[in-house]
Amino acid sequence: MFRNLEFFIIEAFTSFRRSGLMSMIAVGIVMVSLTIFGLFLILILNLGNIIGEISAKMDVSVYIQDELTPKEASAIQIQLSAIPGVHKVMYVTKEEAWKDFVKKYGNRFSLEDVLDDNPLPNTFNVQVDSTDLVEKVARQASKFDKVTDVRYSGTYLESTKMLVEAVRIGGLVLVLLLTVATLLIVVNTIRLTVLARETEISIMRLVGATNTYIRGPFIIEGILIGALGGVFSILILKVSYDAISARLSSALPFLPVVTNPRQLSLVYFMVAFLGMLLGMLGGYISVSKLLKEK
Amino acid sequence: MIELIAVTKTYPNGAGALYDISVHIGKEEFVFLVGPSGAGKTTLMKLLYRDELPTKGQVIVDKIDIAKLEPHQVPYLRRNIGVVFQDYKLLPRKTVFENVAFALQVTGCPRSQIRRKTMQALELVSMLKLVKHFPEQLSGGEKQRACIARALVNNPPILLADEPTGSLDPATSWEILQLLDKINKRNTTVLVATHNKSVVDLMRKRVIALEAGRVIRDQALGVYNEPPPGNV
Repeated sequence: MFRNLEFFIIEAFTSFRRSGLMSMIAVGIVMVSLTIFGLFLILILNLGNIIGEISAKMDVSVYIQDELTPKEASAIQIQLSAIPGVHKVMYVTKEEAWKDFVKKYGNRFSLEDVLDDNPLPNTFNVQVDSTDLVEKVARQASKFDKVTDVRYSGTYLESTKMLVEAVRIGGLVLVLLLTVATLLIVVNTIRLTVLARETEISIMRLVGATNTYIRGPFIIEGILIGALGGVFSILILKVSYDAISARLSSALPFLPVVTNPRQLSLVYFMVAFLGMLLGMLGGYISVSKLLKEK
Repeated sequence: MIELIAVTKTYPNGAGALYDISVHIGKEEFVFLVGPSGAGKTTLMKLLYRDELPTKGQVIVDKIDIAKLEPHQVPYLRRNIGVVFQDYKLLPRKTVFENVAFALQVTGCPRSQIRRKTMQALELVSMLKLVKHFPEQLSGGEKQRACIARALVNNPPILLADEPTGSLDPATSWEILQLLDKINKRNTTVLVATHNKSVVDLMRKRVIALEAGRVIRDQALGVYNEPPPGNV
């Protein structure tokens, strides 16, 4: 078995080298299609990240009666924290809220002129782990003593949920379509390199080569083309993404660009893996087609 | 060694067909298969290495009925038959050594033996000096020698040569035939399809003449054309 593998590998490398231009063209085509695939993968990853960030900012505001001792306040805070799904509870007194409000909007007009009393309530800002739990948390919080009102932006939540779903499904469909497209391109490219060697295959059959022996070198060569295309594609993706993401995050600092090296490595790994897998399939399918003719 | 029993092979377009051929070729015989183009020489050869199957009748090679072989067994039949072609069919991107070694590699021969056997075969055909050349760097005669070395490297009991001198000048043709004769004397059954009259007449071997798909003559120590009556 290993002797065969050694023969396959030597054969594959020799023929790859000796059909220089053809191999280069094949590697180039594989590289381009894998780069497009990787590009969309990164795009979807970023879109998912943005939406994740948005839904992470989903807050429930719990308004409390005005006359409240600090002791009562901390009791409510403990109660709120105990609700399943609650990530963090922050207490904002009506004075703090007012200061914040004035700071934000006070320069437009003088609020003290319009209002002589602070209209804002004491508020707990409750951060919830996931958008699915927002409603539940809100419902439970509204049953507590001293709570006057509970607010969360319902429509905003619904549309975010839908957006997350849309991106998830759309991304999946897109990745599938791109995989199929890449498969077709890679298989056809490798088919060309195999067809160019039809005589070679007929001679192999003539000297008594079994089908396994005929296929072996072509499959290895397919993997080689796929792997090389993948490596070049990763280089292109990495260099250009690093440059673009650095520029984007300095120009639009609020945009949550994915820079997590683990997530990016996963994308690069998928590109390389897909390249090799498709190369192997390309080699196998093309030779098998020729072998079946007789 | 080779036995054709009432073999008929027809093609949809009619050309190169064979009708009711019965031939027996014994072990270590040297046989010429002669006849005009389209008489069915190549078809007969293809039946022997199972590139074609008979429409009717039996083709038996080395005691095996080739029509009964499963597709996966065919490679093993072919390892017992060396085939030489008019157009050599050498792989252009492999050197002479690699072309010959290739026939061993695909049979899973251990690497230690590949080199030794390949060099032996190349020595037999006097090609040792050209082992590193690519086919396009060789003359026609040299290419045919390489092709013969490839056909022999597995030590097959049968060697088929389809128009081996078809593209060669007379002197080179004679050299190739001498080589085939030498191989025959090393206990290999040799069947040569040709329309090279001069070599057939010089060699005086068994001659089977085909015409329009039928055997019209089978003659020991024969010549290319029908001898005058009373001389057989």
